[in-house]
Amino acid sequence: MQLSLSEDQSQILGFLDGLTKPYASVPMHDHSLALTSGELDAALVENGFLDVMAEEELGPATAALVVEKLARLPFAVEAAASALVRRLIDPELPRPLCLVEEGQLRKPVRFLADGATVVVVGPSGVRSFTVSADLIGAPQEDTLYAYPVAFLTGLPDTLTTHDVDPAEITRAWRVALAAEAAGLLGAALQSVVTYVSERKQFGRHLATFQAIRHRLAEDQVVTNGVYWLAIRAAASGSQADAAMAALHAQEAAKRVTYDYHQFLGGMGMTLEHPLHLWTYRLKLLTAELGGRGANALAAADALWG
Amino acid sequence: MNFEWSEEQDAFRQTLRDFLAANLPDDWEKFSEHGPASPALTAFARDFCKKLADVGLLFPHWPVEMGGEGLGPWEQQILAEEMWIAGEPRGGQYMNVNWIGPTLVKYGTQEQQARYLQPITEGKSLWCQGFSEPDAGSDLASLRTRATLTDGNYVINGQKIWTSYAGLADTCFLLTRTSDDRKKGITILLVPMDTPGITVRQIPSLIGEGDIHEVFFDDVTVPEGARFGDEGQAWEIIAYSLRNERLGIPRFTLARAALDRAVAMLKDAGDFAREYVRIEAARCATLCEAAATANYAIVQKRVDGLGVGPESSSARFATVMCERAVCEFVVEFVPEALAGASPYLKMHHQRGIVAGIASGAAEIQLNIIASDVLELPREPR
Repeated sequence: MQLSLSEDQSQILGFLDGLTKPYASVPMHDHSLALTSGELDAALVENGFLDVMAEEELGPATAALVVEKLARLPFAVEAAASALVRRLIDPELPRPLCLVEEGQLRKPVRFLADGATVVVVGPSGVRSFTVSADLIGAPQEDTLYAYPVAFLTGLPDTLTTHDVDPAEITRAWRVALAAEAAGLLGAALQSVVTYVSERKQFGRHLATFQAIRHRLAEDQVVTNGVYWLAIRAAASGSQADAAMAALHAQEAAKRVTYDYHQFLGGMGMTLEHPLHLWTYRLKLLTAELGGRGANALAAADALWG
Repeated sequence: MNFEWSEEQDAFRQTLRDFLAANLPDDWEKFSEHGPASPALTAFARDFCKKLADVGLLFPHWPVEMGGEGLGPWEQQILAEEMWIAGEPRGGQYMNVNWIGPTLVKYGTQEQQARYLQPITEGKSLWCQGFSEPDAGSDLASLRTRATLTDGNYVINGQKIWTSYAGLADTCFLLTRTSDDRKKGITILLVPMDTPGITVRQIPSLIGEGDIHEVFFDDVTVPEGARFGDEGQAWEIIAYSLRNERLGIPRFTLARAALDRAVAMLKDAGDFAREYVRIEAARCATLCEAAATANYAIVQKRVDGLGVGPESSSARFATVMCERAVCEFVVEFVPEALAGASPYLKMHHQRGIVAGIASGAAEIQLNIIASDVLELPREPR
């Protein structure tokens, strides 16, 4: 057991901090529902941050750490699937990588765009295709998620079948979900902590009211749990660990999202405060992989048969 | 990062399991229904701890210069896990090796170390901690048990409550007030429990027989040499001790073991196929594993020589969450377990009620997380 960051991991996370510094805050006067940056995406690819899993001394735990850190940015970037799942299917698959559950085409797909790789995962296998514009629905102006999302209108006649175990890809997807949620949860918590530590009512900082302090403290406990379960699941490769990490992430997301906007009062309803850039990503993650119930059942299967 | 136990750590765990298998009686699960502070378990623990000491397993995590094996925090964790899963056959002596011994070494005089360490290392002594009072529970710094230094002796008057193990303990790690300064006026005295003027009254409890007590001090007189640390140093010393104590009971391992037992009972009854049962079971297991990893992160800090910080309160609260969840799961889906069908689950449930109350209430842990982990502005007093 060695839970400290290795020297390599510390260095990589340090480099990542430096690289992402220009994206660590919301651009002035930008009140977008979702923030994305092609430059950030390109810089991550160019510097190999999405390929750290391939390095023997780094592996999936480091990839999960990278995903967690990137998710803390207010900018949504497709990192989780690329860093933690792509290599298990085909490391040459073009990005962004869009993971779709077999039979669930009605759901919004994160980062779906012309040229993206869609991977359909389900009982009949793992299949992929490069999506073209004619398979993407009309742009959604009224989406409420802080990701770029679009809908598939159907599947192409031919998909590439990958000779990989769909259970293994689903496991990695759960890890990716948990690692991304861990970063989102951490950033959302920090954002609220900052606000309630500055905002005063009744002559006191909001953070001095126990009604808020204790709930935030409990949120810290579950956020910390999501972080450790996600990294452990990445490192262990265990089906049970992955399902529990995804379950805990989705439970935590459900728990905190309304609370956090509540603590911000009126500001919690605005696009002026950036909280939604994390919470409205968390909301969509709660719908992934069948949601809490499905991940709980997967955990039960793995733990007890 | 590596989340796997090393071969040496696995071997150490197996050594402990072999020892437990060889030294616990066949009817141990039924026997362990006696609370950890009951006369029956305390008497058993004296014999059991001596056997542990004889094979170097009572305090293997202590440094070599203290007589230990120098194995370190991970082995302390493994030791605690295996003992707690087994129903804690060390009884109250777990405190000795977790924090009383190390605290004696860090803060005690040579005379105190000479007097108290050997009985601990031989598995003979039982301590109690005289902290809470009727009007000083979570607000521990408001304690009023007074110790007055007169002619080279401290004269103690006051009352403690919720004191575990007091009925059978040899020595009390007692917090007393020696001046009116709220925190700097608190002083520790090491008080033999057979000192005249001490009255112990057992409080019937849900935990089991003999677990919690009231302790009355009426003109109890001890020599000045019974003072532990300097006058007014108690707050610093117990901050050190309690952080070890909060980590010392790996309740999440027993909760997880209890959950597995409950699932086994449900399977036997053909009731584990229902999805809502499986979902709840998975939630419980997830909370147990979240608590485990949070606690392991703290152990790692100790390994790295960083000390145990306020994050231990977060790990402790995670443990409370999993303990409660498993208790609720058992009541909801295996109610017969608490009515005689499973001594093990009954034992777990009895001890589970303590999780959020003892060693600093769960709400205090939340206060610590809010102030010292999240660094929120403090509440006005």
